[in-house]
Amino acid sequence: MKSFTSTDRDRGLRRLRRLTFGAVTGATVAVFGMTYVAAASYAGKASTASTTALSTSGSTATTTSSSPSTDQSATTSATAAPTATTGSSGSGTVTSGGS
Amino acid sequence: MAVASKTWKALGTSVHVLTTDPHELAAAELAVREILEDVDAAYSRFRADSELSRLNAEAGRTVSVSPLLATAVTTALTAASVTHGAVDPTVGTAIRIAGYDDDFSRITEDRGPVSLRALKVPGWQVVHVDRASQSVFLPAGVELDLGSTGKALAADLAAHAAHTAMHRGGVLVSLGGDIAVAGPPPEGGWRVLIAEDSAVPPDGDGQVICIGNGGVATSSTTVRRWRRGGTILHHIIDPQTGLPASGPWRTVTVVANSCVDANIAATAAIVQGQSAVAWLQARRLPARLVENDGTIHYIGPWPDPSRVAA
Repeated sequence: MKSFTSTDRDRGLRRLRRLTFGAVTGATVAVFGMTYVAAASYAGKASTASTTALSTSGSTATTTSSSPSTDQSATTSATAAPTATTGSSGSGTVTSGGS
Repeated sequence: MAVASKTWKALGTSVHVLTTDPHELAAAELAVREILEDVDAAYSRFRADSELSRLNAEAGRTVSVSPLLATAVTTALTAASVTHGAVDPTVGTAIRIAGYDDDFSRITEDRGPVSLRALKVPGWQVVHVDRASQSVFLPAGVELDLGSTGKALAADLAAHAAHTAMHRGGVLVSLGGDIAVAGPPPEGGWRVLIAEDSAVPPDGDGQVICIGNGGVATSSTTVRRWRRGGTILHHIIDPQTGLPASGPWRTVTVVANSCVDANIAATAAIVQGQSAVAWLQARRLPARLVENDGTIHYIGPWPDPSRVAA
């Protein structure tokens, strides 16, 4: 059985502080600030093309129809697997999608 | 420099932890696992012994709750407030009646028709959180579902905890496609493939964007769907009707200062429908909206998909 170390204790104390009511959320939730998004995008194997303007009030928006294009594959990183895996993941791409 | 990664299953979904320094991966993983264990115990809707299950079972009484559940409920109420009720945690009864009453892996089989009636949910204003006594009051008959904010909040908490536990470098935490980052990113930023389904592999089809901080979240009616009596239902409930949302967007992705902000905005956009365009623009949130026919719209400073970097 793993012995209890000062590192474990410090981690435990930090964890308690983290889970103190409002400590984290108060600083993060619903500020709706814009974060930095890189100007460049990297297309996957079949990416997007042809943009047209979407008529909306106030600012720019575009419409795009999906269509296959040149393979500019992003580097594979963590692979979704039913069991835990560890390994180098190159430039480290993950997927944001519904779940 | 190559980043390191670890993947496993928790909270009924895939967990990915990436660190810019491979030597920090173990510390980050441990911190994330601890947070997710706490989250599961605090607000899983499918664990009879979770705090949330007990809170729902004791509606009509004031119940003392842990700091974590109090935080999660407060976050859900804040989400409802800032979205004018489009994202409302009092959809618990509605989503259960619609058939999502168990871990998702166990509800996919069609169990026959369900009787659904359009009825506005009780509304987040009926829920009271007392910060001083750290207690929550739900009126009798009200059930909370923290699904619209809980996972994203967990991603933020986990990324924060992992970064705190690390000595150097940055970390990315993805919980079923809800992504939070903390600390310095890798050169060029964290690369995120935008898809409708988080199960799409990271080298799959689609646009890859880069973020340096904050979070990314995607809400979609194309996943977490089930069938009852031949009718397809999904998990994003419109609080105005208590029924699965039926607007023009099937998938919305938002980038924001935190993962929970991103997820609030993405889910709100699905529920709001067409008016979400102006709502997102007013908040200058980069967003990608997919119409039901597959047409994609980009709002705000979203990276130009026609500019492809090598």
